[in-house]
Amino acid sequence: MSTAGGIIKALNSGVKHLAVRRFTLRYPEQKLKFVGDGFQFNPETGVGIAGLRGRHILYHEHCTGCQLCSVACEGIAEAIGMVKVNETWKQNKKAIMPQIDYGKCVFCGLCVDACPFYALYMTNDYELSSFTKSALIYTPAQLALKPKISQDVEIKIDDRGATHG
Amino acid sequence: MTTPLPPGIQLEKVDDRIMTLNVGPQHPGSGHMRLIIKVDGDYIVSCDPDPGYVHRGEEKMAEYRNYVQNIPHLERPVIHDSCNILYPYCLAVEELLGIEVPERAKYIRVIASELNRCVYTLYWLAIYGIFLGHSTMFMWPAGDRELFIDLLEAMSGARVTHAYLVPGGIRNDLPANFEERCLRQVDYFEKRLKEYQAIFYKNPLLISRTEGTGILSRTDAIRLGTTGSVLRASGVDFDLRKKEPYDVYENLDFETVVRKEGDSYARSYIPYLEMFESCRIIKDAIRKMPKSGSVRTKLKPNPKGGNDEVYKRVESGRGSLGYYIVSNNRPEPYRVKISVGSFRNLICMPYLLKGELLGNMPSVYWGLNYWPVEADR
Ligand code: SF4
Ligand code: SF4
Repeated sequence: MSTAGGIIKALNSGVKHLAVRRFTLRYPEQKLKFVGDGFQFNPETGVGIAGLRGRHILYHEHCTGCQLCSVACEGIAEAIGMVKVNETWKQNKKAIMPQIDYGKCVFCGLCVDACPFYALYMTNDYELSSFTKSALIYTPAQLALKPKISQDVEIKIDDRGATHG
Repeated sequence: MTTPLPPGIQLEKVDDRIMTLNVGPQHPGSGHMRLIIKVDGDYIVSCDPDPGYVHRGEEKMAEYRNYVQNIPHLERPVIHDSCNILYPYCLAVEELLGIEVPERAKYIRVIASELNRCVYTLYWLAIYGIFLGHSTMFMWPAGDRELFIDLLEAMSGARVTHAYLVPGGIRNDLPANFEERCLRQVDYFEKRLKEYQAIFYKNPLLISRTEGTGILSRTDAIRLGTTGSVLRASGVDFDLRKKEPYDVYENLDFETVVRKEGDSYARSYIPYLEMFESCRIIKDAIRKMPKSGSVRTKLKPNPKGGNDEVYKRVESGRGSLGYYIVSNNRPEPYRVKISVGSFRNLICMPYLLKGELLGNMPSVYWGLNYWPVEADR
């Protein structure tokens, strides 16, 4: 193949893409859809349930204050600290629950694997940015909230290529 | 009169012909490393690679964490290839603790690590493109990489740093309809991959810059102890997935890609051709894997390894990647040594660059499939 011919072929291959719909996800307007409601773990079988590993969710009615999540995170990111809560639960005599510092958390989900009481899961919420460091520390009350999320875009593939839409 | 220099500081003697250039340590490509290059005009007289700027002490850190807590930090050296860097660790720990892995988990691990290999190779290819000033070749692989990231995200819940493989299997089973989605996206990707040919690999501009540069002969490749795509580009048929099959690679249908030339072009072409093989492995594994069953063997909390040592290696995106773990009856390993392909390939640099044009340095450097962060660990 001649050099000129090769260059024309290369250019042509790029120019063809002018007519193809773009693949880029336009992020703040579009948001990706994930499988499930976030990463969960079933301590009985010892296997997780697929889902995005985003911000955690804490079920106060299940948490016993056993600190196993905090112990699990100790060698990883030291993101979990146990704090006192002003709540009375039968199963949580010491009234302590995890508080998570998202400035440190690496979203590995090993704390979810460690929780034996179905109290700590993860959610599809990944937009946690804030202007201050202290706002990244989520108290047990904040962790109990269900995230509000609207996620609807998936990768679509047809004859004309792939798009997010 | 010259002022005396402070003690310990030397000035290099200046020659009128030879000039020393520091390439890096500010990101010559990806990650910090420095090449000390001496040039005579436009020709390189000598090259001295100087790694070590991103040393993180991974091996030492591993001695203070138990076998599960080690997972997140051990995948940090190559976040794009995190399944493959965890793979030998998991194999080694499984042998140390005597854990059996369920059959389905083995297949899913292979799928995850092949998807991850594609993510890594596409990222590598994108950087290779931009290294040579080909910005379309940066955009295309970086965009198509999203297909695999999407699949891995559905599998493991994270875009990069999946922490998906654990000693004993995998963290969670596949989501519903994953097989179908995976096949669709991999099929589409294979079509896309063919388009890279005309714009990049058959492009006379790339060929003129890489063909015949930095030739590494077969004997040199073996003598210098290179590995991975560098070794296969010099005509040595060596792939651990074939030669020492781990998990279920022996049941899967794929071929090793070998080229004889040993030049930069061959080194850049091999990872590309291997992506086709990875797609083949993924499709074959989806066809052959058991449709249901357990995916993880339950570990005791804080499992202890005996008085034992074990070495396991796998083929990563950058060649053979091994873990040597010594344990002494404690929940933490006594010593972890990671042997990585990047570091082993770096030794070729002084040999390949001698007598080359300075302009060929980027293609030779990046063609070695070198990942600074992994090499420094
Ligand atoms: S996800 Fe990982 S890093 Fe984050 S709090 Fe849990 S264990 Fe710690
Ligand atoms: S979240 Fe789970 S592991 Fe953590 S203290 Fe509560 S019950 Fe224990």
